[in-house]
Amino acid sequence: MHGIFYNPRDDEIVVPVALGGAVLTLPGGANGGDPPVRVLQGPKTGLVQPDTLYVDVAHDEMVVDSGDDSVLVFQRKASGDTAPIRKIGGPTTQIRNIYGLSVDSVHNLIVVANRVDLGGRESSDGILIFNRTDSGDVAPRAVIAGPRTGIIKIRQVVVDEERGQIFATIKNNFENYDFEQERPSPWNPDRTGFIGVWSIHDNGDVPPRGVIKGPASSLVWPAGVAINPRNREVYAIDSVSNALFMFTMPELFKKPASATGDFNR
Amino acid sequence: MTSTSAERSIGGKGQTKRALDLGGTRLNTLPMPRRVLLSLAGCILLGVVEWRPFLGGSSRARQPLVRSPITSSRLLALERENGCLDSPTLAPVAQAWPDWAAAHIAGGDVPPTRVVADPYPTLHSVTVDSVNDLVFMSDPNRHAVWSYDRRASSQGPEPVTPLTGIRGPSTGMMFVAAVTVDPAAREVYTVDNDIGDRMMVFPYDADGNVKPKRVLNVPHQAWGLSINWVRKEIAISVEGPRQIVVYAQSASGSDSPLRMIRGPRTGLGDPHGIFFDGKNNEIVVANHGNQNGRQTLPGSVTPGRRGEAVGPIVGGRFDDPSVTVYDGETNGDVAPVRRIQGAKTGLNWPMALSVDIEHDEIAVANSGDSSIRMFSRTSTGDTAPVRIIKGARTGIRGPMGVAFDVKNDELWVANYGDHTALVFGRTASGDAAPKRIVRNAPAGSPTVGFGNPGAIAYDSKRDELLVPN
Repeated sequence: MHGIFYNPRDDEIVVPVALGGAVLTLPGGANGGDPPVRVLQGPKTGLVQPDTLYVDVAHDEMVVDSGDDSVLVFQRKASGDTAPIRKIGGPTTQIRNIYGLSVDSVHNLIVVANRVDLGGRESSDGILIFNRTDSGDVAPRAVIAGPRTGIIKIRQVVVDEERGQIFATIKNNFENYDFEQERPSPWNPDRTGFIGVWSIHDNGDVPPRGVIKGPASSLVWPAGVAINPRNREVYAIDSVSNALFMFTMPELFKKPASATGDFNR
Repeated sequence: MTSTSAERSIGGKGQTKRALDLGGTRLNTLPMPRRVLLSLAGCILLGVVEWRPFLGGSSRARQPLVRSPITSSRLLALERENGCLDSPTLAPVAQAWPDWAAAHIAGGDVPPTRVVADPYPTLHSVTVDSVNDLVFMSDPNRHAVWSYDRRASSQGPEPVTPLTGIRGPSTGMMFVAAVTVDPAAREVYTVDNDIGDRMMVFPYDADGNVKPKRVLNVPHQAWGLSINWVRKEIAISVEGPRQIVVYAQSASGSDSPLRMIRGPRTGLGDPHGIFFDGKNNEIVVANHGNQNGRQTLPGSVTPGRRGEAVGPIVGGRFDDPSVTVYDGETNGDVAPVRRIQGAKTGLNWPMALSVDIEHDEIAVANSGDSSIRMFSRTSTGDTAPVRIIKGARTGIRGPMGVAFDVKNDELWVANYGDHTALVFGRTASGDAAPKRIVRNAPAGSPTVGFGNPGAIAYDSKRDELLVPN
């Protein structure tokens, strides 16, 4: 599993099961082999290999990666073989390979961590921002991507709705292994990953407004990020270190300055 | 509070949380118990412990330095020991992005206030070389393969020092799922799952941060690995695409497989453990039963971008776990010759399996109920195991690896839910105690169970962190 969401209002844990083409909803206190309370699975769902998801508690909706280059929106309590109520997908959307999803229910946005591998050590990964109720083959309202962003191999994203900030995990590396080198390595030690923070109003090739990055941070390949605005804490799970890091970062929970880039809508 | 801070029990399970001084930086103790939800092991470890080479002067002896505090200046060493940085490390070259220097960017290189990590190897796969009296185990936590004397064991709570440890960036190993050996050629074979997508071959005497002899690119989500010594072929199971790929044993680089078993008739469902039986010319596979939403196409079809054959969307489903058996020369979308599946089997998250070709038995590491289930090699259908090793005395916890040692009449089990490998008599049954225990950490050391974790969520109601594997 490469995604998880905790819904505090209904005390539920929701997970995508990529290998089973399903979404499971479990009780918030689930433990061991406790069964799910709902299973969403079947041909009508359009779920192929869902890797990540987010629950929009305010609007009672569930936003899920289809595993087939599209975002599917379901009623939160959808179960069985139920069709999505909306789908964002197609060439205009620029959605290719979704590694993270989040919803800003305050500003009515869907944020997509989008991977576009170009081969070798090249990519044009980025953050796509859609209107929450978008449907079909629509253009994103903003795209945060390009060399200034530092976004290479993006993973989970989460939005701090109160301040309108996007937290994203960036692996910043490729697991290439050049056997012909004398001392090959699948990792480039000078290109460790980081957590980057952007405004929901950012657009284009813009640097992050905040980062957690560097040897003291211990982050190598941060894959997951969660936030606790109340404690001003940022949590990161690292897929190479196999470690969970907690950071106290009050400076990342301030309202950003004005938007940068070309905000096109 | 000392630099290693206080310890106290959390969660009522006798587990320990430990808050450590990060090189003089402010230290936060956790305000309340937190839960780390794992898909593979429901264990908790809160702490930071450092790994570094054993200071014994011998390159053959490597073991963790237990419970030493970690300082911010040493966090780089943790990365290095995680196999991410070469050693000795050159002065880091700061990566530069356009406009970053001029931009006002908050945060920076901030040390974590708390860390959850397991400093010890996490055992995954086990294989026995009874000719040379060696045992090899894969370790996805530290990206390593460890070898032990087959006869070594812990006499008490102490860990056993491995003979060799292959680990570090030059090895190229990442999420090491499986290990097997060719005793005649004295070669060690490993395969990466989910990240890496490579099979590595090392000589028996490889130790430390060394290059493999050869590397083979394999499909994404490879898990199991087995050599047919008669055919000189390797079979590899691949989870999501639900396929078995067979290569020449000497394959390297981007060599193509000789053949593939894939398609809806095969009955493959999220395959994991695999055994390529040279005597009976059969491939035996353990399946979790998961079917994603896209139907697989026959093995002759080139896989798509995610390693998935592009077939029609038919909807996902959870089939019952199974053990499926194929003729050794099967190619394409062919039904298994036998299938063990159903309620009587008790199969639940079957991981690795091993075949005793002399006594015609299959041993399955049944992670879902922490048991080892033995089936007749020729059984089929909804058949009960001939023996089950399960219970408190066995010490079996979330087993990932299992291997017969027929020569010595033994059965090896690698625990993922504990820092132990267990050795049973070959015919052990019921709640039997193991003959020997090989610990890779002091007894009682909890396992975190992280294995290439990819996401996290914060449970604001319980003040807990949820991490799926």
